[in-house]
Amino acid sequence: MARQEAAEIQVFDSGEHFAEQIELLALMGRDFATSLDIEKTLFKTLEHITHYMDAASGALFLLDESGEHLRCEVCVGETEITGLVLKSDQGIVGRSVQNNSGEVIHDVATDPDFNNAVDAETGFTTKSILCAPISVQEQKIGAIELINRKSGDGLFVQSDLTMLEAMASSAGLAILNARMAESLVEQERVRRELELAAEIQRSLLPSARDTHFPVHGINQPAREISGDFYDFFPLPDGRICFNLGDVSGKGMNAALLMAKTASLFRCLGKTIHDPGPLMSKVNEEIFETVTRGMFVTMVAGVYNPATGVVRLANAGHEPPIFHKADGSFSFIPADVPPLGITPHLSDGEPCPEVEFQLDGGALYVFTDGVTEGYIAEGVTLEVEGVTDLLTANAGLPAPERLKKIIERISGADLPLRDDLTILSVDDRSCAEARRKTPRNEVPVSSDSVQNRETLLKLQFPGKPDRLRLVRSSVSETAKLCGCNTEDIEAIVIAVDEACQNIIRHAYGATQEGDIILEIRRRGDEIVIFLRDFADPVDVSKIKPRDLDEIRPGGLGTHFIQELMDEAKFLAPPADGGNLMRMIKKIK
Amino acid sequence: MKHQIREDRGHLIVSFEGDVDMQNSPEARNVLLKNLEKKMPILVDLSQVSYIDSSGVASLVESLQTAKRNNSEFALVSVSGEARRVLQLARLDKIFTIHETLEDAFADAG
Repeated sequence: MARQEAAEIQVFDSGEHFAEQIELLALMGRDFATSLDIEKTLFKTLEHITHYMDAASGALFLLDESGEHLRCEVCVGETEITGLVLKSDQGIVGRSVQNNSGEVIHDVATDPDFNNAVDAETGFTTKSILCAPISVQEQKIGAIELINRKSGDGLFVQSDLTMLEAMASSAGLAILNARMAESLVEQERVRRELELAAEIQRSLLPSARDTHFPVHGINQPAREISGDFYDFFPLPDGRICFNLGDVSGKGMNAALLMAKTASLFRCLGKTIHDPGPLMSKVNEEIFETVTRGMFVTMVAGVYNPATGVVRLANAGHEPPIFHKADGSFSFIPADVPPLGITPHLSDGEPCPEVEFQLDGGALYVFTDGVTEGYIAEGVTLEVEGVTDLLTANAGLPAPERLKKIIERISGADLPLRDDLTILSVDDRSCAEARRKTPRNEVPVSSDSVQNRETLLKLQFPGKPDRLRLVRSSVSETAKLCGCNTEDIEAIVIAVDEACQNIIRHAYGATQEGDIILEIRRRGDEIVIFLRDFADPVDVSKIKPRDLDEIRPGGLGTHFIQELMDEAKFLAPPADGGNLMRMIKKIK
Repeated sequence: MKHQIREDRGHLIVSFEGDVDMQNSPEARNVLLKNLEKKMPILVDLSQVSYIDSSGVASLVESLQTAKRNNSEFALVSVSGEARRVLQLARLDKIFTIHETLEDAFADAG
């Protein structure tokens, strides 16, 4: 006892010794702060401590996540027990950790908790043990155990423990810091990846159009990423393709399937213009590759602004709401199961479609996140809530109307249960435009209202003997615009060939009628409209002929495409017939 | 559209004048096919053609094909600028034998 006290006094009296200890603590702190490799830093720390304490060997144990086991993480000196796992209350180390107090076992032979199994295996003789718990406040982290003093009688004394405890608590803080830093780095990495995924998802949604565009949508994810999507894009004939879907489940796998389905629709929707066959095709693709148990509910449709007709296919999705112009509501239920469940949506038959006339009304497609969204504690919006909001806000522009519905849920100050997605197809302004456009008038496309000048308007019977007159009128008109000879010739040929196509193919042998030609100037462009009153032509069948094939006929369309900067059929006029527009940029 | 047919140094020379368009090309086609039946080398003079459309070009193509089947000569002569432009547009300017003048045509025929 007298010897121990003497040693203790010696340690605390020695200024040099104390400075050395401070230096060691500082060194440990720096090692932890600069290294991201905890294990390496632990080893260095233990090495410093073992050396400093003049121990024959040292081991550092850490509690595992469950707190049930102690594992020797690093080891220095004469025994090698790295990886040794003890129960968290086993042995002297366990006792020290559980009681959160250090121990000096002056002579192990007298301690009942000493486990000599290691000695038996390693041939090492343990005489004396010094063990200090590593803990921060009440949180147990592990322990440092030193064995046998190298010099003197090989036994540790009480004052050695005081020093080891100081170093252990410093190591504890450092380990905790390093662990927090590691988890922060991981959290940051996950957060960045989610942000990136969310960004990619947002880029899959169509950009908002101006208020007058008939189709609008909103998507508000409940978390960073969404399992919902919607899209819309105009087709070459003026119709608008739209879709909205909801992927089962949440999280990253749902987000990935959402990205895949949305891309499939966008890509296939450009070539398959009928919602039923489009739905069947996307289903086949998804069924082949989908992770078992996942599926997609989906509504796909095509809207024709020129007629107000919508064609829809519904695969297992919430019935869209049709808000008629008279204020009443009806619902369009699903005909087939969700996508990804069966290889064929309807037993080899094409996926069924419904076709109806919006007639100035509006169609709303939405996910169940909307109807099942909380508007108050325990109260969901339901379909009635949606229709009430649609009635109340019928006077607002469509984007505002959609916003009101989303705000009803997101404004409730309750966490979102699910992604909110809603899309509208509003026929109101197109219906008005259809009423205002009298028969035999070339409809004015909205983009040409300003900055234009009508140069020529000619109505004539669609007969070959009138084309000479048409050509000379067009030639004079183009001359008036200051076109050079080459451009005049090009415009004349294109108009002539387009008229021939109408006479030969649109009216054909069975019909006859007038052609209206209108030529406008728009900036540096000559814009030519040709209107007929024949049955609508199937635009997909009009192709320029293959020029490698030498045969008479079929050249007209090729001429038009070669000579004009743009030539296409616009949406068919509401009262029938066809409308073609050609544009020539003048030099 | 007007047309003229004459014989010169063993060739039939068919000349068109004016617009060979949708209204007139059936007539142009008839004239050409009927003269091809004579199994003589044919030169089509297009120097006075002010306008030719795709249907006019089609009549020329059909005549060329008939001539090739009959192994008889069928060439275009003195093609006006307007007609040449349309033949180029149809990528047919390389398909037809085109002589700048009647004299060239006779020289080539040897």
